[in-house]
Amino acid sequence: MRKIFTRFLNTLFHPHDYFRILGRDRYKSLKIRIVLLDAMISLVPLIIVVTISYFWFQSILKEDFRNQVKWEIENTEQSIEYFVDGKVSALRFLASSYSYKQLSDQKMLNDIFTKFENEFSGLVDLGLIDSNGIQQAYAGPYPLIGKDYSNQEWFNEVIVRNVYVSDVFMGYRRLPHFAIAVKKNCPEKRSFCILRATIDMKILKRFASTINLRENDDAFIINHDGILQTPSQFHGDVLNKFKLPVLIPERGVSVLDLKELNGGPAIFGYVPITNSPWILVAVVKSTPYLRIPKIFRNELLLISILSVFIGVTVTFLMAQTVVNRIRKADQEIEDAMAKTEQASKLASIGRLAAGVAHEINNPLAIINEKAGLMKDILDMSGDLQQNKEKFLGLISAIFDSVNRCSTITHRLLGFARRMEATHEVLDLNDIVKEVIGFLEKEIAFRNIRLELKLKEDLPEIESDKGQLQQVFLNIINNAVDAIEEGGLIEVSTRVKDKNTVLVSIRDTGSGIPKNKLKSIFEPFYSTKEKGEGTGLGLFISYGIMKKLGGIILVESELNKGTTFTVEIPIRAGDGEGGHV
Amino acid sequence: MTVTKILLVDDEVEFVSALSERLRLRNYDAKAVYHAEDAMPTIMKDKPDVVLLDLKMPGIDGIEILKAIKKFDTTIKVIILSGQGDREIADEGIKVGAFDYVMKPVDIGEIITKIEQAKKSR
Repeated sequence: MRKIFTRFLNTLFHPHDYFRILGRDRYKSLKIRIVLLDAMISLVPLIIVVTISYFWFQSILKEDFRNQVKWEIENTEQSIEYFVDGKVSALRFLASSYSYKQLSDQKMLNDIFTKFENEFSGLVDLGLIDSNGIQQAYAGPYPLIGKDYSNQEWFNEVIVRNVYVSDVFMGYRRLPHFAIAVKKNCPEKRSFCILRATIDMKILKRFASTINLRENDDAFIINHDGILQTPSQFHGDVLNKFKLPVLIPERGVSVLDLKELNGGPAIFGYVPITNSPWILVAVVKSTPYLRIPKIFRNELLLISILSVFIGVTVTFLMAQTVVNRIRKADQEIEDAMAKTEQASKLASIGRLAAGVAHEINNPLAIINEKAGLMKDILDMSGDLQQNKEKFLGLISAIFDSVNRCSTITHRLLGFARRMEATHEVLDLNDIVKEVIGFLEKEIAFRNIRLELKLKEDLPEIESDKGQLQQVFLNIINNAVDAIEEGGLIEVSTRVKDKNTVLVSIRDTGSGIPKNKLKSIFEPFYSTKEKGEGTGLGLFISYGIMKKLGGIILVESELNKGTTFTVEIPIRAGDGEGGHV
Repeated sequence: MTVTKILLVDDEVEFVSALSERLRLRNYDAKAVYHAEDAMPTIMKDKPDVVLLDLKMPGIDGIEILKAIKKFDTTIKVIILSGQGDREIADEGIKVGAFDYVMKPVDIGEIITKIEQAKKSR
């Protein structure tokens, strides 16, 4: 993965390593780079914004859902509280409105119970219990007159607190129910009695089920010991134990995110129900907030796709425009380069011309003298026969000189004619020797030693003769200029590998300082005196070798000399590309 | 009238041998040397009136020979044999004390005139 990423970055920032520097590939790589970079710049923020929006929206929905759960728990708690308060108030009203005597009258109690039952749902029975805990009167479906409650906990509680709401219990009836009891003072008996109503647990269950629940959710009521007061979908029936995951405080609704409850994360909401021994609990495992409304998602997707499409189109058009401009600029540079190359060629021809003129001048002078001598002899002695041998010698010397001239002119023409790039099969050593031929006179005059170390059986190369000659001529010319009399120029050829051959030109000149070494291939950079060099020789040579698929390497040590190594691909196009 | 002694110094054997022969045909005592290093010993030995000197020879600076001749004997007149492209060196030679220069290929009439002028100026 890391490798792929690194490779991607490299392609992005160093596409030349992956695409050839020359030709159409370069523009293609440039276009790819611009499109990738621009796409990254425009699309990454878009993706970030969309992602953040998505999760932000999701968290809002979750918060909203939690609030909804909280609100529902709160509402249900209030309903239960009102219900219990209502029952307590009604019992208190009964207790204060009727005397002990009236309430202990079975007929009257039945009458009150009937009226009461109509007004309050869930009422199971109504009983009057004396201070000894014995049920004196009872209205309801069970035969419970005379039952002794003195041992039961609720009886003692109601004596202390005046009002008591019990936990859900089975009691004598073996049905889950709870009791509300109020204490009534009975002055006529100088004692007290208790009015007690039992209410079906189903009424609580109905309240709990008003909480809007989904398939995996659960809402139920427990007491403070965690005993289920209403049945739970996942924790069993009434009076089962529910293990509390947190400590329940005295008041207020709490909604918590639990990572683990019954094998998974859940929202755990609870509230102690005021004036009762109960706690309303909701365990919500469903996650409807994750299902972001389809419309929002679709809109987001549509906007994203549209943005990506517009972004990519604009980027592509921009890249196209930029690349076209660069291509045009490159074309202009190339044209200018071609002109410069021509100028440089003419400059080197000019330089050659001086040498050639000198070389031609000598044989011409010989011809002149030989012909002059023949004329002198004819003028002075007139005896042709006597001087026949001498004449033949002189004529032969004239022919030799003419041949010398024609060799020079042919060589010069051969060099000047090759303006157009062509590829032909060549012997590298021959090319080197021909170039040396141009310069050996000057090298000799300057008293410079020339050593040729040409490797025999060098493979033939497929390249451009004229261009290679120009490169070697430029480099050797520089070497000649760089060294003092008595210096050495060594030209060697050898095979580098199966694809490449080398020509090394080593001189024992002054060398090139390190800080100037990097400038030597720049155009118009020259260390020669004004008017002597164009500053184009190495620049042109570099361009030529790049075009031919080769490279020029340079090593130099101050006061020791410089070595230029020209690497040439054996087959045209086999080279490494133009790095120096 | 004494015969004018001329020494020709040039590495181009064919040229200098023909030219010296032509001068001899015109009754000059012309002698040629083909190596720069032979120039001074011959001059010292023969004491020529005029030296025809090529300044561009392999392995040696012609200007130095010119200076040596002038140091040896200021009356020896030196006429420089110069190639068409070497006018600058010829001019330098004049500055150092050469009498004149002729351009190769040389016109025999011109060279005779200059030799005579040189001889007269002694």
